[in-house]
Amino acid sequence: MTLSIVLLILFSSFARAEWRFEGETGVVYNSNLSNSDRSADVRDDWAWRSDISAANGLQLTRDLRLNLGADMRGEVWDRFDAFNTIGPGASAGLRYRFGLGRQAPWVLLEDRFGYDRFHDTAQSGYDNVLNFQTGIALSDRIALEGGYAFESFVSPNDFYDRQVHRGNARMVFDATSSLQVTVGYTYREGDVISYAVPPRPDIARFSIEREDQDEFGQPLRTAYKLLGRTHALSFSVAYQLMKYASVQLGYEYAITTHDPLQYENHLVEANIAVAY
Amino acid sequence: MRPSRGFVVLTVLVFAGDLLAGSLEVIVKDDKGRPGSDAVAYAVAAGAASAAPKKQAVVDQRDKQFVPYVTAVQVGTAVIFPNSDNIRHHVYSFSPAKKFELPLYSGVPAEPVVFDKVGFITLGCNIHDWMIAYVAVLPTPYFQVTRQDGRAVLKDLPAGQYTVQVWHPALKGQPEALAQRIDVGGGTKSLLFTLPLKHDVRAKRAPGLTTGGYR
Repeated sequence: MTLSIVLLILFSSFARAEWRFEGETGVVYNSNLSNSDRSADVRDDWAWRSDISAANGLQLTRDLRLNLGADMRGEVWDRFDAFNTIGPGASAGLRYRFGLGRQAPWVLLEDRFGYDRFHDTAQSGYDNVLNFQTGIALSDRIALEGGYAFESFVSPNDFYDRQVHRGNARMVFDATSSLQVTVGYTYREGDVISYAVPPRPDIARFSIEREDQDEFGQPLRTAYKLLGRTHALSFSVAYQLMKYASVQLGYEYAITTHDPLQYENHLVEANIAVAY
Repeated sequence: MRPSRGFVVLTVLVFAGDLLAGSLEVIVKDDKGRPGSDAVAYAVAAGAASAAPKKQAVVDQRDKQFVPYVTAVQVGTAVIFPNSDNIRHHVYSFSPAKKFELPLYSGVPAEPVVFDKVGFITLGCNIHDWMIAYVAVLPTPYFQVTRQDGRAVLKDLPAGQYTVQVWHPALKGQPEALAQRIDVGGGTKSLLFTLPLKHDVRAKRAPGLTTGGYR
């Protein structure tokens, strides 16, 4: 009986569901794709990145919203195609808003599970991200958001298994009716893979090694998996072209350390996104 | 049977009043000289009691937007909020002149909302934060919302003196500060209003720009 009622509610909710289709494509530049600390080892590259998704939003009550989605993501790197990846994913999220209206605080708990198939198939694996976000609008123009995420990547090749904790905070500022500016900070702690031409006994003593990697060509490198702490500052602008489309430009500066190792990444992104 | 003298006098006065009815064109510009669309121009007759509101107004919800963006009504008007989308909306207002909530619904609500107090009301949808609209509740039946060219024509104004004001969702300050007085008789008169406007920072709908955890 209870099951029947739940199913009835779910079916009637689906009948009122709000479908949302999104597509995003653009380029990303990483000044240090190899996550290397010595300039001779650093390799930069840019990629074409795309993402399409379909999601179904169900407003369960005035304050509670359930989102179920499916997506497909891909990256194609210009020079280092070992990092090319494509993969499907599925997500579910619950958002609760504490009150009525745009300025009410909210919390969001969501999980995305996906498979990432790399061109270098040894790196392929299953990715799960559990994300908790919260936010509040301080005024018509300013909103604050922050959260915590736990990411777990599981690969048949244990070397590429990764676990990452991430905390973030950002401020969103509506500059005009079409322009939005965001500044953010992210703290990340977890596994990173840094490539270097061996021998690097200074890194080897606190990392797991995988030798003779050819992802970056010659000379062959060693991949070191280690626990790194990353501080990242980001700045982005998004411009609404029309109600269904926008362009976004973003920059992030990240510095990752595990004494004595330290490396920097500059990430630049340019995207166009459409939604219906 | 001959008409009485009183009937003749009344008839003449009525037709004379019609003959003297005039129009008022209101031209609205922002402080940079650009046409001010979506402004509400309204004329309040000096010393005359306003007639009762005559009809309902409609604020529709189509393609996850309120239509129209700005609605003007006379105080006491009933406004219905049909939902023409195939998803549910949740309309609300926090404005002091009319606080109300139409919880999650589809179709046409059973009861309209009566706007019984003069003021300017901001409407929102609790599901789609970018959905925003305004209702100007006015103490007069003489009003119009300006078109894209920033113009509005108030027709059939009985002859007399009027205070004309203009309100806009982004107006800095109160419309009383910009009030103008004019005598209306036969023909069309024109008034220019230059409005100081705030930046339009209404919530955005495009992907990547929505906030509030909306997915």
